[in-house]
Amino acid sequence: MRFLSLASQYRVVIILGLTLIISALVVPGYFSASTLGLGLDRAATIGLIAIGLTVLLIAGQIDLSGGAVFAVAGIVSVMLQREIGILPAAIVGVLVGTVAGAINGALVVGLKVNSLVLTLATMLIFRSLAHWITNSQPVTGTDIMLSLALAKIYLEIFTIRSALFIVFIVLLHFWLTRTIPGRNVFAVGSNPAAAKESGIASDRIVFLGFVFAGTLAGLAGVLQSLVTNTGSPVFGSELTVAVIAAVVVGGTRLEGGRGSALGTLGGVLTIGSLTIAMEFQSVPAYVQQVVSGLILILLVVLDRAVTTKGRAPGTRPALISDNPVTQGEST
Amino acid sequence: MIGKKTMIQLAAVALLASTGWASAKTVCYVTAADSHAYATPANKALEARAKELGVEILSLSQDFDVQKGTEQLNTCVARKVDGIILWPLDPQAYIPGLARAQQANIPAILINSPMSDDAKPYIKSFTGPDVYEEGKLAADSLSKALGGKGSVVIIAGQAGNGTTIGRVTGFTDRLKETNADIKVLDTVNADFDQQKALVVSRDLITRFGDQISGVYANDDTMARGFIDAWKEANPSKAAPPIVGINGQKDAFESIRTNEMYSTIVQSPVEDGRLAINTMAEIIDGKEVKDRLPIPLTVVTKDNVNSVEPAF
Amino acid sequence: MSDAAMEISGVKRNDRFTRGSRLVDALSKAGLAFAILAVALYGSVVSPAFFTSGNLLNVLTSMSIVGIVVVGMTFVLVVGGLADLSVPATIACGAILSLGLQPMIGPLPAFVLAVGLAGLIGLLNGVLVGYVGINPIIATLGIGTIGLGIVQAAVGGVIVYGSNPASAEFAKGRLFGIPVVVLIFLVIALIGHFVLSRSFWGRWTLATGGNYSAAEASAVPVQAVKAGAFVITALTAGISGGLLGLTLQSARPLIGAGYEFSAITAVVVGGVSIIGGFGSVPRAIAGLIFVQLLTNVMVLDGVRTPIQGFVLGILIVGAVGMDAALRKRGVA
Repeated sequence: MRFLSLASQYRVVIILGLTLIISALVVPGYFSASTLGLGLDRAATIGLIAIGLTVLLIAGQIDLSGGAVFAVAGIVSVMLQREIGILPAAIVGVLVGTVAGAINGALVVGLKVNSLVLTLATMLIFRSLAHWITNSQPVTGTDIMLSLALAKIYLEIFTIRSALFIVFIVLLHFWLTRTIPGRNVFAVGSNPAAAKESGIASDRIVFLGFVFAGTLAGLAGVLQSLVTNTGSPVFGSELTVAVIAAVVVGGTRLEGGRGSALGTLGGVLTIGSLTIAMEFQSVPAYVQQVVSGLILILLVVLDRAVTTKGRAPGTRPALISDNPVTQGEST
Repeated sequence: MIGKKTMIQLAAVALLASTGWASAKTVCYVTAADSHAYATPANKALEARAKELGVEILSLSQDFDVQKGTEQLNTCVARKVDGIILWPLDPQAYIPGLARAQQANIPAILINSPMSDDAKPYIKSFTGPDVYEEGKLAADSLSKALGGKGSVVIIAGQAGNGTTIGRVTGFTDRLKETNADIKVLDTVNADFDQQKALVVSRDLITRFGDQISGVYANDDTMARGFIDAWKEANPSKAAPPIVGINGQKDAFESIRTNEMYSTIVQSPVEDGRLAINTMAEIIDGKEVKDRLPIPLTVVTKDNVNSVEPAF
Repeated sequence: MSDAAMEISGVKRNDRFTRGSRLVDALSKAGLAFAILAVALYGSVVSPAFFTSGNLLNVLTSMSIVGIVVVGMTFVLVVGGLADLSVPATIACGAILSLGLQPMIGPLPAFVLAVGLAGLIGLLNGVLVGYVGINPIIATLGIGTIGLGIVQAAVGGVIVYGSNPASAEFAKGRLFGIPVVVLIFLVIALIGHFVLSRSFWGRWTLATGGNYSAAEASAVPVQAVKAGAFVITALTAGISGGLLGLTLQSARPLIGAGYEFSAITAVVVGGVSIIGGFGSVPRAIAGLIFVQLLTNVMVLDGVRTPIQGFVLGILIVGAVGMDAALRKRGVA
């Protein structure tokens, strides 16, 4: 049992380590800086969105609309390039993400509806919007040289994108563990009612969580569009699932109240290095799917097996406890 | 811990293998998908031919996700391969990636689908069928069936998808070009899905009824959806001429029984083989043409028995 | 909300609450009926073809396939299981096997085996969610990904065609003038409704979704009930996939893509709470009818596809928002 609990505690590190070791054995030259840099860059897009989602999940909410926001923000940042220049367009693009997040947050808090359903709806809305404003055709940017510069590898390992991701996740780690607002997020996620009673403005925290998540999805979308010099209504359609998987592999729970930035970093890196390793070996996409699905299930089962104590399986998670009536709290 | 042991064995095999092939040329093949009616036979043909040529293939599947593909180009560059064969799913998004490949002196060609003209400086050649061309051929075929006059509905694939864009604009451009007196009543997306095409066709038939004098579906699967919907609505009446693309087995059957007017055959096997042959020539230092088409055959009742279906 | 559920969960609730809840229930039911009426009215104004028996039958036929999944998905939501995201995998399993096995074992055994295997996927989901206690979204996402990966590996790029014209004729045919698919949908909906509203299993399902620990305390086999909902969904999705395969006479691995969201949308628009403990099959189907009629009207009206998605999204927000608002007033 002690072994299991240790294994569970460090499962992200273990699985990341195993992935790296096996990859290094199978893929020649895996540990070269350029390969690692590549894996990091591949992980950065998922990672940036995962940062936002980590905060939301800890607060007991979820956001399915990230992939669609990613597309809309990228499209806007490319479409406006001709009118207002590249940098202002990029800023507006990120702000579009912020606004999208604010819409999500305002609706979840204001209407008191479940975030799973609500962001399912806004995902549909934002995705339709992306098709609408582009007439379902990809749009091109003005400066391809910028795209090349953005994808350049610095210090043999970082691209701008992956450096941003690392910086943000370290900042998030300190914010979550060292500051009061950061710790309040956990309180809101693990017991909203108690958090409210102890004077924490849960609604505000949830709202800002959505704004944060939207902004980061927007940022990731803008970066993607700049790197490819293209805004496309189909970008990001597969992202949401990958992001949720990465965050959960990193040990953050969908039930709220538990999770960490460094865990997410581990989860994102695991997925990134696994993808690169399997691609280097020409593993078919459907086998990759099976492997990542298995890892996901294995990790959550392990997590459960060790930490069930004191919590009946299937206990109503915080994610779904925002409606007082069916909650049975008639007192 | 059986897993570990096998893994180590696997690793050993891989290491041996990689040293053995060290002299062979490696070509990075970024394909559309691994599991798909057209892509799978094309992939298999490409890989089989590569084996004959002694070229090693690093196969990466985009799974129809453009974003994944743009990132996979970076993987190819990082692997320092000798050539890249890209199956583009978007007319533009890969350009920076192709430019990076060029900076690294890796020649790249496109298979199956074209990209915009901006991509030209970064690619050596584009091999395979041209979805835009297919749209044009479909327009010609349908206007022949209609005698140059009528009103048609277009059942299109996924919105925003490169194949859809090419096949739809090719069709409408050609109608304009030839000044045909053919009106497009409506264009609806059915995502290359038979059930979605069936549902949307029911609504189109209800809405336009006898106004529909012809149908253009972006692929045979969706054409089948329209045929079924028409049969439900008008069991005794013959359907208007329907034109599809792909040349599937069941489309051939439909043409024989007069349910469909025509389809366009493109062979996935030839598609795959042409791409790797071209790449092999490039690696050998030969010059290649910047456009190498594979034959597109319009199949109607006249030649349905002399042409092989694509898949 | 049925009183039986209250009793069995052993929670004492005051009269005011129950009364409020009933009022809300009636109100939200009326709201949905009004919404359907409004769409029908609008439809007949914009298109003369809307109010024809042909068109309405079309709508009914088109919604039957997803409707069968909706019946199962209702159980998942009511039991507090959030959502089953593995539906694309179970539909693919049903469609591909029921066609692919035809030459080997005949159409009916192929269909049964296909549905059975889909049920097995559901059992995996159920065990993970009900017994191990994993969040349903993660469990069904993982199992769905694995399932779909295996299906793709098995089938490769091949399109599986049907080889038994008689079974195709049956699935596409009509009985008393009504398409067979519609009849099967209606029968499954009736069974689902009966089980959820009249049987002990339904009471258990409502109780488990309404208050897990109270239901557990009153000897409801909560774990099995929770797992059962996922098995039910997988079975319905398997049937739905099998019928899809038989009517289309062809199947691909990605044939079920998007059905999970369509089903969840219908159930939620129907006012079935995603928090569990409340809802019924007729409500979910009313939600489905509304969504399908609206889509039908938009296509008849020539609304472009992206705008259709936009409208649908706004509509879900409106539906859940109104539901939440009504319910809050109900308790206050």
